Amino acid sequence: MSITNELVVEFPAIGENESLARVIVSVFVAGLNPTIEELSDLKVAVSEAVTNAIIHGYDSEKYLYDTGKPEQEQGAAGRDIANQIRLAMSLEGRTVTVSVTDHGCGIEDIDRAMEPLYTTKPDQERSGMGFSFMEAFTNELQVSSTPGQGTTVIMKKVIGE
Amino acid sequence: MDYEVKASDDFLWVLLPTELDHYQADRIRQEVKDEMREHIIKYIVFDFKQTTMMDSSGIGLITGRYRDVASQGGQVYVSHVDDHMKKVLTLSGLYRIVVPWEHIVSSV
Ligand SMILES: Nc1ncnc2c1ncn2[C@@H]1O[C@H](COP(=O)(O)OP(=O)(O)OP(=O)(O)O)[C@@H](O)[C@H]1O
Ligand SMILES: [Mg+2]
Repeated sequence: MSITNELVVEFPAIGENESLARVIVSVFVAGLNPTIEELSDLKVAVSEAVTNAIIHGYDSEKYLYDTGKPEQEQGAAGRDIANQIRLAMSLEGRTVTVSVTDHGCGIEDIDRAMEPLYTTKPDQERSGMGFSFMEAFTNELQVSSTPGQGTTVIMKKVIGE
Repeated sequence: MDYEVKASDDFLWVLLPTELDHYQADRIRQEVKDEMREHIIKYIVFDFKQTTMMDSSGIGLITGRYRDVASQGGQVYVSHVDDHMKKVLTLSGLYRIVVPWEHIVSSV
């Protein structure tokens, strides 16, 4: 059986939408009957890309760490809903392609950013493992970025090889 | 399912949520730090009993708490680690600093 399908969603760059993004991708691939392990892998990869868009692309955490207060208690300033993330997915046969796009600060040096343990936010307890996880849990990872304009991460995963 | 944080003497038990991401990790970090201000904590158990997914934010959370207690001669344990979690913990190198709780319990 070969399925072709597409879905595009857009949502504001807030932490709650990390789980929403994982659920949407999980439902999108449900027809391929993924194993629990394949689903967990895909969820981690999606989670990493969306989290990066929120905390690096739009730097949405700076309010939290500047004031020491959780985002929720800061009113509108901490949650700029103009910051949108675009999550697009497509299915071709058994291959799912997921792309995550932000219109945030972009990445100056992509090769360096993708090195294991490299992080620009060690003070916020980031481990620099995000891209390594995306690479390990999918079959293919592509990152494109323009400083000042934003970043797109494209991941491909084969389900039920 | 939601997380739970409980202190008893110098032990802190952290039951992690179903999916441990950046949003959840921030909430847990806040609560764990509050507990650590109220009690002198040397040992932390991160319990994955109900957890089916963890991303790199969980690695940051655990590594950060390890730094907090290691300076006190403490230790961080992980409990109920399933195959997916084992893969994530191994890949991140976290097994160099955390100890499987079940090893301790079975050797007593
Ligand atoms: N969408 C993005 N926009 C801008 N910069 C990014 C984006 N994604 C990643 N980066 C940059 O790449 C670095 C590495 O990303 P990676 O996800 O590997 O680690 P991290 O997010 O810093 O830590 P972790 O994912 O382990 O919590 C980040 O520290 C950041 O500087
Ligand atoms: Mg990351």
